[in-house]
Amino acid sequence: MSAPNPYERFEELDAGRALGDLSHEEVLEWNELAPKHKSGTSLDFDWISMELELKNSKPCSLSSSLVARLNDTIPAFTSNNSKKESSPMMVSIIPWLGWATAACLLVFFNLPFSDSPQPSPELTVTQKLEVLREAPDTQRLDFSPASDPYAKITGEVVWNDERQEGYMSLANLPVNDPSKNQYQLWIVDPERDELPVDGGVFDISAGSETAVIPIRNALQISKPDAFVITLEQPGGVVKSKQEVVVALAKS
Amino acid sequence: MHLRNFILFSNINSFCFALGIVEQGGGQNNVGDSLLLLVAKGDGQAMKRCIDLYGPLVWSIVCRRIKDRSDAEEACQDIFTEIWKKAGSYKPEIARETTFIGMIARRRSIDWQRKQSRLPLLTDLESAPEVSSSIPLAGTNLDRELLWNALEQLPEKTRDLFNLHFVKGMTHEEIANEKSLPLGTVKTRLRRGLIDARKLLREYSKKENTES
Repeated sequence: MSAPNPYERFEELDAGRALGDLSHEEVLEWNELAPKHKSGTSLDFDWISMELELKNSKPCSLSSSLVARLNDTIPAFTSNNSKKESSPMMVSIIPWLGWATAACLLVFFNLPFSDSPQPSPELTVTQKLEVLREAPDTQRLDFSPASDPYAKITGEVVWNDERQEGYMSLANLPVNDPSKNQYQLWIVDPERDELPVDGGVFDISAGSETAVIPIRNALQISKPDAFVITLEQPGGVVKSKQEVVVALAKS
Repeated sequence: MHLRNFILFSNINSFCFALGIVEQGGGQNNVGDSLLLLVAKGDGQAMKRCIDLYGPLVWSIVCRRIKDRSDAEEACQDIFTEIWKKAGSYKPEIARETTFIGMIARRRSIDWQRKQSRLPLLTDLESAPEVSSSIPLAGTNLDRELLWNALEQLPEKTRDLFNLHFVKGMTHEEIANEKSLPLGTVKTRLRRGLIDARKLLREYSKKENTES
Protein backbone atom coordinates (compact mmCIF):
# COMPACT_ATOMS: atom_id res chain seq x y z
CA MET A 1 0.00 0.00 0.00
CA SER A 2 1.44 3.38 -0.97
CA ALA A 3 1.97 6.18 1.53
CA PRO A 4 -0.73 8.86 1.46
CA ASN A 5 -0.08 11.93 -0.63
CA PRO A 6 1.27 14.56 1.85
CA TYR A 7 -1.10 17.24 0.58
CA GLU A 8 -4.11 14.98 0.91
CA ARG A 9 -3.01 14.04 4.40
CA PHE A 10 -2.61 17.72 5.27
CA GLU A 11 -6.03 18.48 3.84
CA GLU A 12 -7.57 15.80 6.04
CA LEU A 13 -5.77 17.08 9.13
CA ASP A 14 -6.69 20.64 8.29
CA ALA A 15 -10.36 19.69 8.08
CA GLY A 16 -9.88 18.07 11.50
CA ARG A 17 -8.35 21.31 12.75
CA ALA A 18 -11.41 23.26 11.67
CA LEU A 19 -13.65 20.65 13.28
CA GLY A 20 -11.53 20.76 16.43
CA ASP A 21 -11.03 17.01 16.54
CA LEU A 22 -7.25 16.60 16.08
CA SER A 23 -5.55 14.16 18.43
CA HIS A 24 -2.20 14.92 20.07
CA GLU A 25 -0.27 13.11 17.32
CA GLU A 26 -2.33 14.75 14.60
CA VAL A 27 -1.61 18.23 15.95
CA LEU A 28 2.11 17.47 15.75
CA GLU A 29 1.67 16.11 12.24
CA TRP A 30 -0.33 19.19 11.22
CA ASN A 31 2.42 21.44 12.59
CA GLU A 32 4.95 19.55 10.51
CA LEU A 33 2.97 19.63 7.27
CA ALA A 34 1.50 23.13 7.58
CA PRO A 35 4.53 25.18 6.52
CA LYS A 36 4.60 23.36 3.16
CA HIS A 37 0.92 23.03 2.43
CA LYS A 38 -0.95 25.70 4.31
CA SER A 39 -2.43 28.55 2.31
CA GLY A 40 -5.13 31.15 2.73
CA THR A 41 -7.66 28.60 1.53
CA SER A 42 -7.21 26.62 4.76
CA LEU A 43 -9.64 29.07 6.27
CA ASP A 44 -12.33 27.87 3.88
CA PHE A 45 -12.86 24.94 6.23
CA ASP A 46 -13.33 27.35 9.12
CA TRP A 47 -15.69 29.44 7.05
CA ILE A 48 -17.83 26.50 5.90
CA SER A 49 -18.02 25.12 9.44
CA MET A 50 -18.84 28.51 10.86
CA GLU A 51 -21.58 29.24 8.31
CA LEU A 52 -23.17 25.88 9.07
CA GLU A 53 -23.07 26.57 12.77
CA LEU A 54 -24.05 30.19 12.47
CA LYS A 55 -27.17 29.56 10.47
CA ASN A 56 -28.47 27.39 13.23
CA SER A 57 -27.24 29.35 16.19
CA LYS A 58 -29.92 30.75 18.39
CA PRO A 59 -28.14 33.60 20.10
CA CYS A 60 -28.19 33.30 23.89
CA SER A 61 -28.47 36.38 26.06
CA LEU A 62 -25.42 37.22 28.11
CA SER A 63 -25.71 37.40 31.87
CA SER A 64 -25.45 40.89 33.29
CA SER A 65 -22.23 39.98 35.12
CA LEU A 66 -20.61 38.87 31.86
CA VAL A 67 -21.73 42.04 30.07
CA ALA A 68 -20.13 44.01 32.91
CA ARG A 69 -16.88 42.03 32.54
CA LEU A 70 -16.84 42.61 28.79
CA ASN A 71 -17.55 46.30 29.20
CA ASP A 72 -14.62 46.45 31.59
CA THR A 73 -12.25 45.45 28.79
CA ILE A 74 -13.26 48.46 26.71
CA PRO A 75 -11.34 51.30 28.38
CA ALA A 76 -7.97 49.60 27.82
CA PHE A 77 -8.58 49.67 24.08
CA THR A 78 -10.27 53.03 23.75
CA SER A 79 -7.46 54.79 25.62
CA ASN A 80 -4.70 53.02 23.68
CA ASN A 81 -6.30 53.86 20.39
CA SER A 82 -7.09 57.42 21.25
CA LYS A 83 -3.47 57.92 22.34
CA LYS A 84 -2.32 56.61 18.98
CA GLU A 85 -4.65 58.78 16.97
CA SER A 86 -4.58 62.00 18.91
CA SER A 87 -2.90 64.98 17.32
CA PRO A 88 -2.15 68.46 18.69
CA MET A 89 -4.95 69.85 16.55
CA MET A 90 -7.42 67.55 18.30
CA VAL A 91 -6.56 68.71 21.80
CA SER A 92 -9.44 70.52 23.39
CA ILE A 93 -10.19 71.63 26.88
CA ILE A 94 -13.58 69.88 26.94
CA PRO A 95 -12.29 66.30 27.42
CA TRP A 96 -9.93 67.57 30.12
CA LEU A 97 -12.83 69.18 31.93
CA GLY A 98 -14.49 65.77 31.94
CA TRP A 99 -11.38 64.11 33.38
CA ALA A 100 -10.98 66.86 35.96
CA THR A 101 -14.59 66.45 37.06
CA ALA A 102 -14.15 62.68 37.27
CA ALA A 103 -10.98 63.09 39.31
CA CYS A 104 -12.75 65.45 41.70
CA LEU A 105 -15.58 62.98 42.12
CA LEU A 106 -13.13 60.17 42.77
CA VAL A 107 -11.45 62.18 45.51
CA PHE A 108 -14.79 63.28 46.91
CA PHE A 109 -16.17 59.77 47.13
CA ASN A 110 -12.79 58.28 48.07
CA LEU A 111 -13.04 55.78 45.24
CA PRO A 112 -10.07 53.58 44.27
CA PHE A 113 -8.30 54.94 41.21
CA SER A 114 -6.26 52.98 38.76
CA ASP A 115 -4.96 53.35 35.21
CA SER A 116 -6.12 49.89 34.30
CA PRO A 117 -9.75 48.84 34.27
CA GLN A 118 -10.80 47.06 37.43
CA PRO A 119 -12.48 43.72 36.85
CA SER A 120 -15.96 43.51 38.31
CA PRO A 121 -15.97 41.28 41.38
CA GLU A 122 -16.70 37.67 40.48
CA LEU A 123 -19.87 36.43 42.10
CA THR A 124 -19.92 33.11 43.87
CA VAL A 125 -22.19 30.39 42.52
CA THR A 126 -24.57 31.00 45.41
CA GLN A 127 -24.68 34.72 44.66
CA LYS A 128 -25.30 33.98 40.99
CA LEU A 129 -28.19 31.76 41.99
CA GLU A 130 -29.63 34.56 44.13
CA VAL A 131 -29.31 37.05 41.27
CA LEU A 132 -30.94 34.67 38.82
CA ARG A 133 -33.72 33.85 41.26
CA GLU A 134 -34.77 37.51 41.23
CA ALA A 135 -34.50 37.94 37.47
CA PRO A 136 -37.71 38.31 35.46
CA ASP A 137 -39.04 35.13 33.83
CA THR A 138 -36.92 32.87 36.00
CA GLN A 139 -38.52 29.51 36.57
CA ARG A 140 -38.28 27.85 40.00
CA LEU A 141 -39.14 24.21 40.61
CA ASP A 142 -38.81 22.10 43.75
CA PHE A 143 -36.98 18.81 43.65
CA SER A 144 -38.74 15.69 44.97
CA PRO A 145 -36.98 12.41 45.75
CA ALA A 146 -37.47 9.84 43.01
CA SER A 147 -36.49 6.71 44.93
CA ASP A 148 -36.18 5.49 48.52
CA PRO A 149 -32.42 5.82 49.07
CA TYR A 150 -32.79 9.52 48.27
CA ALA A 151 -35.97 10.16 50.28
CA LYS A 152 -34.40 13.00 52.30
CA ILE A 153 -33.39 15.12 49.34
CA THR A 154 -34.75 18.64 49.21
CA GLY A 155 -33.91 21.52 46.95
CA GLU A 156 -34.91 23.54 43.98
CA VAL A 157 -33.84 24.31 40.45
CA VAL A 158 -33.72 27.87 39.17
CA TRP A 159 -33.71 28.30 35.41
CA ASN A 160 -33.93 31.24 33.03
CA ASP A 161 -34.67 30.54 29.36
CA GLU A 162 -33.53 33.86 28.04
CA ARG A 163 -30.19 33.75 29.81
CA GLN A 164 -29.77 30.01 29.33
CA GLU A 165 -28.55 29.99 32.88
CA GLY A 166 -29.61 27.87 35.81
CA TYR A 167 -28.58 26.49 39.18
CA MET A 168 -29.64 23.68 41.47
CA SER A 169 -29.68 24.05 45.20
CA LEU A 170 -29.65 20.60 46.79
CA ALA A 171 -29.62 19.38 50.37
CA ASN A 172 -29.21 15.85 51.76
CA LEU A 173 -27.89 14.42 48.53
CA PRO A 174 -25.50 11.59 49.46
CA VAL A 175 -21.79 12.09 48.86
CA ASN A 176 -20.63 10.21 45.76
CA ASP A 177 -17.29 8.68 44.88
CA PRO A 178 -16.43 10.24 41.48
CA SER A 179 -14.28 7.24 40.56
CA LYS A 180 -17.35 4.99 40.83
CA ASN A 181 -20.27 7.16 39.82
CA GLN A 182 -21.39 10.73 39.31
CA TYR A 183 -24.66 12.59 39.40
CA GLN A 184 -25.96 13.84 36.08
CA LEU A 185 -28.72 16.34 35.40
CA TRP A 186 -31.13 15.91 32.53
CA ILE A 187 -33.38 18.63 31.18
CA VAL A 188 -36.65 17.59 29.60
CA ASP A 189 -37.58 20.08 26.90
CA PRO A 190 -40.38 18.61 24.78
CA GLU A 191 -40.30 21.57 22.41
CA ARG A 192 -36.72 20.74 21.51
CA ASP A 193 -36.57 16.99 21.39
CA GLU A 194 -38.07 13.91 22.91
CA LEU A 195 -34.68 13.02 24.37
CA PRO A 196 -33.65 14.87 27.52
CA VAL A 197 -30.74 17.26 27.18
CA ASP A 198 -27.59 16.69 29.21
CA GLY A 199 -27.42 19.33 31.97
CA GLY A 200 -23.97 18.38 33.22
CA VAL A 201 -22.27 15.96 35.56
CA PHE A 202 -21.60 16.87 39.19
CA ASP A 203 -20.34 15.53 42.48
CA ILE A 204 -21.39 15.97 46.07
CA SER A 205 -18.45 16.16 48.40
CA ALA A 206 -18.40 15.55 52.13
CA GLY A 207 -19.20 18.48 54.35
CA SER A 208 -21.52 20.35 52.02
CA GLU A 209 -24.94 20.65 53.62
CA THR A 210 -26.51 22.48 50.73
CA ALA A 211 -24.75 22.27 47.41
CA VAL A 212 -25.30 24.82 44.67
CA ILE A 213 -24.60 23.35 41.27
CA PRO A 214 -24.52 25.38 38.05
CA ILE A 215 -26.43 23.84 35.16
CA ARG A 216 -24.26 23.17 32.14
CA ASN A 217 -26.77 22.56 29.41
CA ALA A 218 -25.10 21.01 26.40
CA LEU A 219 -27.74 22.39 24.05
CA GLN A 220 -30.09 25.35 23.87
CA ILE A 221 -33.15 24.90 26.06
CA SER A 222 -36.40 26.65 25.22
CA LYS A 223 -39.12 25.54 27.62
CA PRO A 224 -37.98 22.97 30.14
CA ASP A 225 -40.74 20.79 31.47
CA ALA A 226 -38.74 18.86 34.03
CA PHE A 227 -35.27 18.44 35.52
CA VAL A 228 -34.15 14.94 36.46
CA ILE A 229 -31.05 13.88 38.39
CA THR A 230 -29.70 10.39 37.75
CA LEU A 231 -26.67 8.51 39.03
CA GLU A 232 -24.40 7.46 36.19
CA GLN A 233 -20.97 6.09 35.48
CA PRO A 234 -18.00 8.48 35.93
CA GLY A 235 -18.06 11.18 33.26
CA GLY A 236 -21.78 10.74 32.66
CA VAL A 237 -23.53 9.16 29.72
CA VAL A 238 -24.93 10.37 26.41
CA LYS A 239 -28.25 8.64 26.92
CA SER A 240 -29.35 7.60 30.41
CA LYS A 241 -30.82 4.17 31.04
CA GLN A 242 -32.36 5.78 34.13
CA GLU A 243 -31.33 2.85 36.30
CA VAL A 244 -30.88 5.14 39.30
CA VAL A 245 -33.19 8.14 39.25
CA VAL A 246 -32.33 10.36 42.19
CA ALA A 247 -34.64 13.36 42.09
CA LEU A 248 -37.15 15.08 39.88
CA ALA A 249 -38.37 18.65 39.54
CA LYS A 250 -41.43 19.04 37.35
CA SER A 251 -43.44 22.04 36.28
CA MET B 1 -38.93 7.83 15.75
CA HIS B 2 -36.32 10.18 17.14
CA LEU B 3 -36.70 13.73 15.96
CA ARG B 4 -33.00 13.63 15.18
CA ASN B 5 -33.65 11.12 12.45
CA PHE B 6 -36.54 12.72 10.70
CA ILE B 7 -34.63 15.13 8.55
CA LEU B 8 -34.30 14.00 4.99
CA PHE B 9 -32.70 16.41 2.67
CA SER B 10 -34.19 16.41 -0.78
CA ASN B 11 -33.40 19.87 -2.05
CA ILE B 12 -31.61 23.00 -0.98
CA ASN B 13 -34.74 24.51 0.55
CA SER B 14 -35.38 21.57 2.81
CA PHE B 15 -31.69 21.38 3.64
CA CYS B 16 -31.69 25.03 4.59
CA PHE B 17 -34.86 24.48 6.58
CA ALA B 18 -33.33 21.54 8.37
CA LEU B 19 -30.33 23.65 9.22
CA GLY B 20 -32.61 26.25 10.71
CA ILE B 21 -31.74 28.64 7.96
CA VAL B 22 -33.80 31.73 7.54
CA GLU B 23 -32.31 33.79 4.78
CA GLN B 24 -31.23 37.10 6.14
CA GLY B 25 -32.14 39.25 3.19
CA GLY B 26 -29.04 40.94 1.93
CA GLY B 27 -26.98 39.27 4.58
CA GLN B 28 -25.48 42.57 5.59
CA ASN B 29 -26.36 44.51 8.64
CA ASN B 30 -25.90 48.20 8.10
CA VAL B 31 -25.50 48.91 11.79
CA GLY B 32 -23.07 46.03 12.07
CA ASP B 33 -21.12 46.97 8.96
CA SER B 34 -19.82 50.12 10.45
CA LEU B 35 -19.29 48.82 13.94
CA LEU B 36 -15.92 47.09 13.58
CA LEU B 37 -14.52 50.05 11.71
CA LEU B 38 -15.52 52.29 14.61
CA VAL B 39 -14.15 49.75 17.08
CA ALA B 40 -10.83 49.84 15.23
CA LYS B 41 -10.78 53.60 15.82
CA GLY B 42 -11.17 53.07 19.56
CA ASP B 43 -14.82 54.11 19.77
CA GLY B 44 -15.96 52.86 23.18
CA GLN B 45 -19.64 53.25 22.34
CA ALA B 46 -19.16 51.10 19.23
CA MET B 47 -17.51 48.44 21.40
CA LYS B 48 -20.50 48.46 23.72
CA ARG B 49 -22.85 48.14 20.77
CA CYS B 50 -20.67 45.36 19.44
CA ILE B 51 -21.06 43.47 22.74
CA ASP B 52 -24.83 44.03 22.66
CA LEU B 53 -25.15 43.01 19.02
CA TYR B 54 -22.69 40.14 18.77
CA GLY B 55 -22.33 39.05 22.40
CA PRO B 56 -25.24 36.58 22.17
CA LEU B 57 -23.77 35.08 19.00
CA VAL B 58 -20.30 34.73 20.51
CA TRP B 59 -21.79 33.28 23.70
CA SER B 60 -23.78 30.66 21.78
CA ILE B 61 -20.66 29.62 19.84
CA VAL B 62 -18.60 29.43 23.04
CA CYS B 63 -21.22 27.47 24.99
CA ARG B 64 -21.37 24.80 22.31
CA ARG B 65 -17.85 23.80 23.22
CA ILE B 66 -17.08 25.03 26.70
CA LYS B 67 -19.47 23.59 29.24
CA ASP B 68 -18.02 25.07 32.39
CA ARG B 69 -19.68 28.43 32.87
CA SER B 70 -16.74 30.32 34.35
CA ASP B 71 -14.43 28.94 31.63
CA ALA B 72 -16.97 29.97 29.00
CA GLU B 73 -17.12 33.49 30.42
CA GLU B 74 -13.35 33.75 30.41
CA ALA B 75 -13.19 32.51 26.83
CA CYS B 76 -15.86 35.02 25.83
CA GLN B 77 -13.79 37.80 27.36
CA ASP B 78 -10.68 36.60 25.48
CA ILE B 79 -12.66 36.57 22.25
CA PHE B 80 -13.86 40.15 22.64
CA THR B 81 -10.34 41.25 23.51
CA GLU B 82 -9.19 39.66 20.28
CA ILE B 83 -12.03 41.34 18.39
CA TRP B 84 -10.93 44.73 19.72
CA LYS B 85 -7.34 43.97 18.66
CA LYS B 86 -8.20 42.59 15.24
CA ALA B 87 -11.00 44.99 14.27
CA GLY B 88 -8.51 46.99 12.21
CA SER B 89 -7.98 44.05 9.86
CA TYR B 90 -11.70 43.71 9.11
CA LYS B 91 -12.55 44.34 5.47
CA PRO B 92 -16.29 44.80 4.84
CA GLU B 93 -15.86 44.12 1.12
CA ILE B 94 -14.55 40.61 1.85
CA ALA B 95 -16.51 39.29 4.80
CA ARG B 96 -19.66 40.03 6.68
CA GLU B 97 -19.06 41.31 10.17
CA THR B 98 -20.90 38.28 11.57
CA THR B 99 -18.50 36.05 9.64
CA PHE B 100 -15.46 37.86 10.96
CA ILE B 101 -16.61 37.73 14.57
CA GLY B 102 -18.06 34.23 14.30
CA MET B 103 -14.79 32.84 12.94
CA ILE B 104 -12.76 34.41 15.73
CA ALA B 105 -15.21 33.07 18.31
CA ARG B 106 -15.26 29.59 16.83
CA ARG B 107 -11.52 29.33 16.44
CA ARG B 108 -10.78 30.62 19.92
CA SER B 109 -13.32 28.26 21.47
CA ILE B 110 -11.64 25.33 19.74
CA ASP B 111 -8.24 26.62 20.91
CA TRP B 112 -9.60 26.79 24.44
CA GLN B 113 -10.76 23.18 24.25
CA ARG B 114 -7.39 22.18 22.89
CA LYS B 115 -5.59 23.90 25.75
CA GLN B 116 -7.89 22.25 28.28
CA SER B 117 -7.09 18.86 26.75
CA ARG B 118 -3.38 19.74 26.99
CA LEU B 119 -2.96 19.33 23.25
CA PRO B 120 -0.02 21.07 21.59
CA LEU B 121 -0.63 24.45 20.00
CA LEU B 122 -1.14 24.80 16.29
CA THR B 123 1.82 27.10 16.05
CA ASP B 124 1.53 28.05 12.42
CA LEU B 125 -2.10 28.99 12.74
CA GLU B 126 -1.44 31.11 15.79
CA SER B 127 0.75 33.37 13.71
CA ALA B 128 -1.46 33.31 10.65
CA PRO B 129 -3.04 36.51 9.39
CA GLU B 130 -6.53 37.09 10.64
CA VAL B 131 -9.58 35.88 8.89
CA SER B 132 -10.80 38.77 6.84
CA SER B 133 -7.61 39.23 4.91
CA SER B 134 -7.39 35.64 3.77
CA ILE B 135 -10.80 34.22 3.01
CA PRO B 136 -10.87 33.91 -0.73
CA LEU B 137 -14.29 32.31 -0.84
CA ALA B 138 -15.98 33.75 2.16
CA GLY B 139 -18.25 36.62 2.65
CA THR B 140 -20.28 37.82 -0.25
CA ASN B 141 -23.89 36.86 -0.67
CA LEU B 142 -23.06 35.14 -3.92
CA ASP B 143 -20.45 32.98 -2.27
CA ARG B 144 -22.85 31.99 0.45
CA GLU B 145 -25.43 31.02 -2.12
CA LEU B 146 -22.77 28.91 -3.81
CA LEU B 147 -21.97 27.30 -0.47
CA TRP B 148 -25.55 26.15 0.06
CA ASN B 149 -25.69 24.87 -3.52
CA ALA B 150 -22.47 22.96 -2.97
CA LEU B 151 -23.72 21.50 0.31
CA GLU B 152 -26.84 20.28 -1.42
CA GLN B 153 -24.67 18.13 -3.66
CA LEU B 154 -23.08 16.27 -0.79
CA PRO B 155 -24.22 12.69 -0.20
CA GLU B 156 -27.17 12.32 2.13
CA LYS B 157 -25.05 10.48 4.72
CA THR B 158 -22.66 13.42 4.91
CA ARG B 159 -25.47 15.96 5.20
CA ASP B 160 -26.99 13.88 7.95
CA LEU B 161 -23.69 13.93 9.87
CA PHE B 162 -23.32 17.67 9.24
CA ASN B 163 -26.80 18.16 10.61
CA LEU B 164 -26.03 16.23 13.78
CA HIS B 165 -22.69 17.90 14.34
CA PHE B 166 -23.17 21.50 13.24
CA VAL B 167 -26.91 21.93 13.73
CA LYS B 168 -27.67 19.73 16.71
CA GLY B 169 -24.29 20.46 18.25
CA MET B 170 -23.57 16.78 18.93
CA THR B 171 -20.01 15.67 19.64
CA HIS B 172 -18.35 12.95 17.57
CA GLU B 173 -18.89 10.51 20.44
CA GLU B 174 -22.58 11.33 20.64
CA ILE B 175 -22.97 10.88 16.89
CA ALA B 176 -21.12 7.57 17.04
CA ASN B 177 -23.55 6.38 19.72
CA GLU B 178 -26.59 7.72 17.92
CA LYS B 179 -25.65 6.19 14.59
CA SER B 180 -23.96 3.08 15.97
CA LEU B 181 -20.84 3.93 14.03
CA PRO B 182 -17.20 3.61 15.13
CA LEU B 183 -15.85 6.93 16.39
CA GLY B 184 -13.11 6.88 13.74
CA THR B 185 -15.70 6.59 10.98
CA VAL B 186 -17.59 9.63 12.23
CA LYS B 187 -14.36 11.60 12.40
CA THR B 188 -13.29 10.58 8.90
CA ARG B 189 -16.71 11.21 7.34
CA LEU B 190 -17.00 14.68 8.84
CA ARG B 191 -13.52 15.61 7.66
CA ARG B 192 -14.14 14.12 4.22
CA GLY B 193 -17.43 16.01 4.08
CA LEU B 194 -15.69 19.32 4.65
CA ILE B 195 -13.08 18.52 2.02
CA ASP B 196 -15.78 17.58 -0.49
CA ALA B 197 -17.78 20.70 0.34
CA ARG B 198 -14.75 22.87 -0.34
CA LYS B 199 -14.03 21.04 -3.58
CA LEU B 200 -17.59 21.53 -4.77
CA LEU B 201 -17.51 25.15 -3.72
CA ARG B 202 -14.38 25.73 -5.79
CA GLU B 203 -15.95 24.07 -8.82
CA TYR B 204 -19.06 26.20 -8.44
CA SER B 205 -16.95 29.33 -8.04
CA LYS B 206 -14.99 28.51 -11.18
CA LYS B 207 -18.18 27.93 -13.14
CA GLU B 208 -19.66 31.15 -11.86
CA ASN B 209 -16.55 33.10 -12.85
CA THR B 210 -16.48 31.54 -16.33
CA GLU B 211 -20.14 32.33 -16.92
CA SER B 212 -19.79 35.90 -15.80
